[in-house]
Amino acid sequence: MNKFDRAIHEIQTMDSMAERDQWVNRIHPLVKLFITVFYIATVVSFPRYALTGLLGMCLYPILLFSAAELSFGESLYRLRIVLLLVCAVGVWNPFFDRTVYAQIGSFAVTGGMVSMLTLMAKGIFTVLAAYLLIATTTIEKICYALRLLHIPKLFVTQVLLIYRYITVLLAEAERMSQAYALRAPGQKGIHHKVWGTFLGGLLLRSMDRAQELYESMCVRGYRGEFYYGNRQRVKAADIAYLLLVAAGILLFRFVPVFEVVGSLFV
Amino acid sequence: MSHINIDVENVSFSYEKEHPVLRDITFHAGGQDAIGIIGANGVGKSTLLKLLVGLVPDFSGSVRVGDVLLEKKTLPLIREKIGYVFQDSDSQLFMTNVYEDVAFAPRNYGLPEEEVAARVEQALSQTHTGHLRNRQIYRLSGGEKKLVSIATILSMTPDILLMDEPSVALDPKNRRNLIHILNECGYLKIIASHDLDFIWDTCSRVLLMAEGRIIRDGKTEEILRDGALLEQYGLELPLSLYRRK
Repeated sequence: MNKFDRAIHEIQTMDSMAERDQWVNRIHPLVKLFITVFYIATVVSFPRYALTGLLGMCLYPILLFSAAELSFGESLYRLRIVLLLVCAVGVWNPFFDRTVYAQIGSFAVTGGMVSMLTLMAKGIFTVLAAYLLIATTTIEKICYALRLLHIPKLFVTQVLLIYRYITVLLAEAERMSQAYALRAPGQKGIHHKVWGTFLGGLLLRSMDRAQELYESMCVRGYRGEFYYGNRQRVKAADIAYLLLVAAGILLFRFVPVFEVVGSLFV
Repeated sequence: MSHINIDVENVSFSYEKEHPVLRDITFHAGGQDAIGIIGANGVGKSTLLKLLVGLVPDFSGSVRVGDVLLEKKTLPLIREKIGYVFQDSDSQLFMTNVYEDVAFAPRNYGLPEEEVAARVEQALSQTHTGHLRNRQIYRLSGGEKKLVSIATILSMTPDILLMDEPSVALDPKNRRNLIHILNECGYLKIIASHDLDFIWDTCSRVLLMAEGRIIRDGKTEEILRDGALLEQYGLELPLSLYRRK
C-alpha cells in the first residue's frame, strides 16, 4: 500500500467509524458539535499555569474513547503528526520564562516548563475532542448540525465538498504515482524533475473529476443546498447528555477537583 | 411515469470553432423507444448525451423535452425529466453509502423522507442491489457501482433515461441483469455504447454516428446486420451475429 492508498484508507476508516451504531454515534449531531466547541473553548480558557486543573479535562476524551469503543493507540498513531506539531507550540517557553514555579528536591520547575506542559495539554485535548467528533459523526451529520446553527449554506457545502474532493484528489494521485512507478522501476518516489509535470497533471485530472462529480450532482437536482435526510430530533437523552457533560466540563473548569480530593486525604 | 417526447433539431456544437464535435444533429424520440447511439471513438456520442441533459452549454439548434425547450432557465425542469448515467461510476457516486447516494435526487426534489425511502427501496429492488443498501461506496465492486449508479437515477423516476456506456465494467451475469432491467423499465431510453451486442439486446432503434453527424437512423436489425456499413464507420458486427453467420 503506498502513501496515497494509506491516506484514502484512513479517510475510509474514519467514515466507517462515524457510521457505526454505537450510542455515542446516535447522539444528535448538534449536541455533539455544541459539546465539542464548548469543551475546546473551556480547555483554551485555562490560565497558562493551571496545569493541575487542566489535567481534569482529560476525563472527557478518555470517557468518550471508552464509550465509543475507539482504539486510543490507533487514534494516537493516526494523529501523530498533528499532535507533534501541537506539542511543538510551547517548546520554547522554558527558555523565555525562567521564574521558579516550584522546587522538587534540587530540581527547579520553572514557569516556562509549566506553561509549556499546559500548552501541550491544551493542544492534545482540543485535537482529541475534534477527532472524537469526526470519529463518531459523519461529515453529512456535522454539516447538518452546522446548517441547524444557520451557518451559511455556501460555507457548509464547501466543507462537505472539500471533504469529498480530498478522496478524489488522493485517488488521482494514487493512479498517477502507480503509473509512474510501473514505468520507473527501482526509483524511490517521484523524481524531483517530474514534480512540476506530475502536480500539473494531478491538478488538471482532479479538476476534471471534480467537474464530473459536480455535474452528477446537478443532473440529480442539486441547486446549491445539500439535504441531509431524516431531520433527527433532539431527544430527552440528547439533552440529558448535553447537560451532564456540560456540567462536568464546568465543574472541572471552576472547581479545583484534584485539590479538593487531595485535601480529603491530607 | 408519463411518456414524453424528445425533439432534437439541427443541433451543432464545438469546443473549438475549427473542430465541431456535433454537426446538424436531428432526431425525434418518444414513448418507450429504446435508442442506441453507436459509432467509433470520438464521434460525439457522449457529448450528445451530455448536451441533452444540459451539461453542454452554447450549442446551436434546439432540444425540446416534452413541451420544454432546453435552455438555462429550464434546466431544473429538464433534469427532473431526464436521468443521466455517467460512463464512469466513480464520477457519479459521491455520498458515503449506497442509501444516501440513491436518496440524493429525491431529497433534492423536496420529497418527504417516507417517499424518499420508498423510492430508494424501489430503485434498489429494480437493480437487485437491495443487499448493498448500507454498504459504503468505496467497498463496492465495479459491477455493483454501475448498478448502484443506475439506481441513483431510477430513484428520480425520470421520463427519459440516458446512459453512457452502461455495460462497461460489468461481468456477464451483471450485464445480463442490466439488459433485463432496461428491457423491463418503460422509460424512453437513449444508450450510447460501443457494445453492439448490448445495443442489439436492449434497443429497437439505432443512430449511427460518424464525425459528429448522424449517418443512419433506423431499426436495430437493419443497421447492426449491415456489416459493410458498420465496417465503413469503424465498427464491426455484434459478436452474436458473427457466430450466426
